[in-house]
Amino acid sequence: MLVLGLLSSVVRERDVGSNITFSFLSIIIISSAVLIGPVGSALVGAISMAFDRGGRSAVARLFNASMAGLQGAVGGLVYLAVGGANLAQVHGAGVLIMRVGLPLMVADVVQMLINALLLAGIVRLSSGVPPRRFLVQMITNSGVAYIGYGVIGFLFLILWVPADVGPFSAILILAPLFVARWAFVQYGEEQRAHERTLSALVTAVETKDPNAAGHSARIARLAEWMAEPLSMGTQEVQALRYAAMLHDVGKIGVPTRVLRRPRPLSLVDLEALTRHSSLGVKVVRDIEFLSGCLDGIRHHHERWDGLGYPDGLAGDEIPLISRVIAVADAFDALTTDRAERPALTPTQALKQIEQRRGRQFDPHVVAALATVVDRHERPLTTATEEELEQMRGYLDHDDPIAWEHVWTAAPRSRPVVPRPEPATAGPQRHGGDQNGDETPRIPDESAVAEQVRAP
Amino acid sequence: MRLGLRDLPSRLRLHRWLPVVSIAVAAGAVAAAIASPRLPLQDWGILAVFAVVIAVGEVNRIVLPGGRETAPMSLAAGYALAMTWDVGEDYRVSFGAGVVVATTSVGMLAGAVPALIRRSPVRADDLAARLLSVAVAALLFRHLSVWEGQPLLTLQDDWASTRWVTAISMVLVSGVALFVQSFCVAMATASRDHRPFWRSLVDEVRQGAGLGAALAASGTLIALAERPMGIVALPVFLVPLVLTQFAIRRFAGIRETYGQTIRALSRLTEIGGYTRRDHPARVAALSVAMGRDLGMSDRDALDLEYAALLHDIGQVALREPIPGGATMMAAPADQDRIARDGAGIVRQTGVLDHVAVILASQAKPYRHVRELGEDLPLASRIIKVANAYDDLVGEARARRARKHTAAIERIHLGLGYEYDPRVVEALIRVLDRRAAVVGAG
Repeated sequence: MLVLGLLSSVVRERDVGSNITFSFLSIIIISSAVLIGPVGSALVGAISMAFDRGGRSAVARLFNASMAGLQGAVGGLVYLAVGGANLAQVHGAGVLIMRVGLPLMVADVVQMLINALLLAGIVRLSSGVPPRRFLVQMITNSGVAYIGYGVIGFLFLILWVPADVGPFSAILILAPLFVARWAFVQYGEEQRAHERTLSALVTAVETKDPNAAGHSARIARLAEWMAEPLSMGTQEVQALRYAAMLHDVGKIGVPTRVLRRPRPLSLVDLEALTRHSSLGVKVVRDIEFLSGCLDGIRHHHERWDGLGYPDGLAGDEIPLISRVIAVADAFDALTTDRAERPALTPTQALKQIEQRRGRQFDPHVVAALATVVDRHERPLTTATEEELEQMRGYLDHDDPIAWEHVWTAAPRSRPVVPRPEPATAGPQRHGGDQNGDETPRIPDESAVAEQVRAP
Repeated sequence: MRLGLRDLPSRLRLHRWLPVVSIAVAAGAVAAAIASPRLPLQDWGILAVFAVVIAVGEVNRIVLPGGRETAPMSLAAGYALAMTWDVGEDYRVSFGAGVVVATTSVGMLAGAVPALIRRSPVRADDLAARLLSVAVAALLFRHLSVWEGQPLLTLQDDWASTRWVTAISMVLVSGVALFVQSFCVAMATASRDHRPFWRSLVDEVRQGAGLGAALAASGTLIALAERPMGIVALPVFLVPLVLTQFAIRRFAGIRETYGQTIRALSRLTEIGGYTRRDHPARVAALSVAMGRDLGMSDRDALDLEYAALLHDIGQVALREPIPGGATMMAAPADQDRIARDGAGIVRQTGVLDHVAVILASQAKPYRHVRELGEDLPLASRIIKVANAYDDLVGEARARRARKHTAAIERIHLGLGYEYDPRVVEALIRVLDRRAAVVGAG
């Protein structure tokens, strides 16, 4: 047992990337509590933990060792106290489960509580986190794992004594668990790889429009912050983060000459530019796990008053994700240095956005932005002289001030009046079903050829 | 001749024969079971529980990362059945290998029913491989004499005091049975995908090694635990394997998602108007078929697929699209720059370095290998040829045959200079097979 305990503390690996941790040592401690009694189990726990590798301080090591020892001892005592039988004297499936399995599970739960209580205490001492919250968190996080340890420990014991296999049973029991752990580690690695590949997708698009470099990553962080005051659920926050990261990938379908052309832009150019939100859906619609983001990407340029593109949705028809991205988008654009003006301070930018509350932006979401501006420090995106020279005349389509100038300066242009398309209108539409090829409405078809003059 | 030998599995269409063989085995087993003396009632109960668990295991099949399908719980239960000897401390079962195989085939067939009802395809050759594997385990454990004319089954009484020897013997039996399974599956894939057999076997063993260890251990666990616990041991001792299966499923799931993301990345150029519709997907399919034909391992084939999907991504940095997106027609210097830009974008992920290396060399002509002694990756040479072919033929349905001939002629002009002759041969083989399929259909 001691040898096993030592081995298990050597192969321990805490972080496998998905909140799933295996502690082989816990299995060993619970099994030895039954097999060799409280004293032996305490020794196994303490000695194994004392030899745990990892660059922890001597104090931490001492604490861990004594905690493992205590767990072992109490586990053994509880097992005996609730009537746990001597393994060698019980026969038959029913008896094994009632006289060994149940007491073992009781001891297992007590061990988990000891672990959680002691950790809550030490965390309280060292960093002042309220112990109750920590306790609840510990138990919800590791409760299932501990039940698993109990079950595996039970199987292990049956194999060791009643089936007479002895120490070799450790190999048989642990082989499937090792493979499971290996797969979880692979899963974690692959997930990180996937995350990085997704952001490479974003970077690839940003090489087309260097003036927007880093924009997507900044929006993703901002949107995540805003999700908190809006009390969005975990799933929704996840979708929001991905949608924010990928909201402009459709720019890949906008000709580079349009993206980099200095103002004035023709209406044809503007129209090409506005197509990016529906094209973005086309890029990512085959990625299944992003299916929750598609509408968010498609509608991130809709306006609260229904004058946005591509579908002219208004108010609550616009998915919440899109409304958040719209606000974050504008805020980031305003706090970025541009050739015609330096970056606005967060307060100035917030003021600009609040002026458009109820017209362009959802008032609730604007309120959330105000909370975020209050709560988080966020640097302005500055540019060097050289970069400013480069972006002279550049139109940032996310900048509400610049966009309004371009839009209202267009001859004979009036507010975009949405013409609902009977086949596709309605808030329930699913972005992925549309092929994204359609042309967004533009103010006036007769003005298409005319030039829009920038201020 | 080497070529003839490596083509053997596909020429014999082994993947079609495998199910036939296993049906014959199952029928023989049923016949043997009927002919054998009547079983006691308790044996029937045990067999029924096993059949149910095997069926449940078949329903819960998983897809391994890399795309192979398998049913770990069903296999583990099958091995356990093959090695069952005492159920409860004073009861010994009296059935032989024939009954084991008959029970397993009943369970497997029952497990395939839901899939058949849903009209989702059931891979008969995988099912056959699993059944044969259980049959081998049963024969090895119950009938093969290993020591003084006794099979392992009866030797268990001599090993009562050294039960770990029993455990090791069971792990070995399962190991051999698993190898038989890998062997059968490798034969089937070699035959179906036109790959060299040896390569398939190595991939199969490598991919299945982890799960195989868990499987062999689980089968052994159940068979051993049946003695103290009775038949309850079967569901209870499958618990660790269920956890393993869950973990592997998660792993395979994220792999799948990853593939989808790469395919989405590959469509960037298409949506940007840089390449023709589905060009990256066509080049990828053609490249992988050529790579398989040339004996690439699963891992290399995956890198090749990703590289082929992303081979035009460098065009994203271009200011204006190339007419028709055909990089083949672009000037060599431009081709090289696109290749380098693409590699740069892919390298930014920090996780696709192999793919970046392939991309960086995809435009280099084959003569560099001979004249400058450069080491061009095989994958790059494959993508160069596949890309050229697709650029030349295009998606046109009309006059396809003539375009095909013209494309092959054009590629032949660059043989040994632009293109690797060995790779071009593979291209021709792959295209011939496709034509044969189209012609037959």
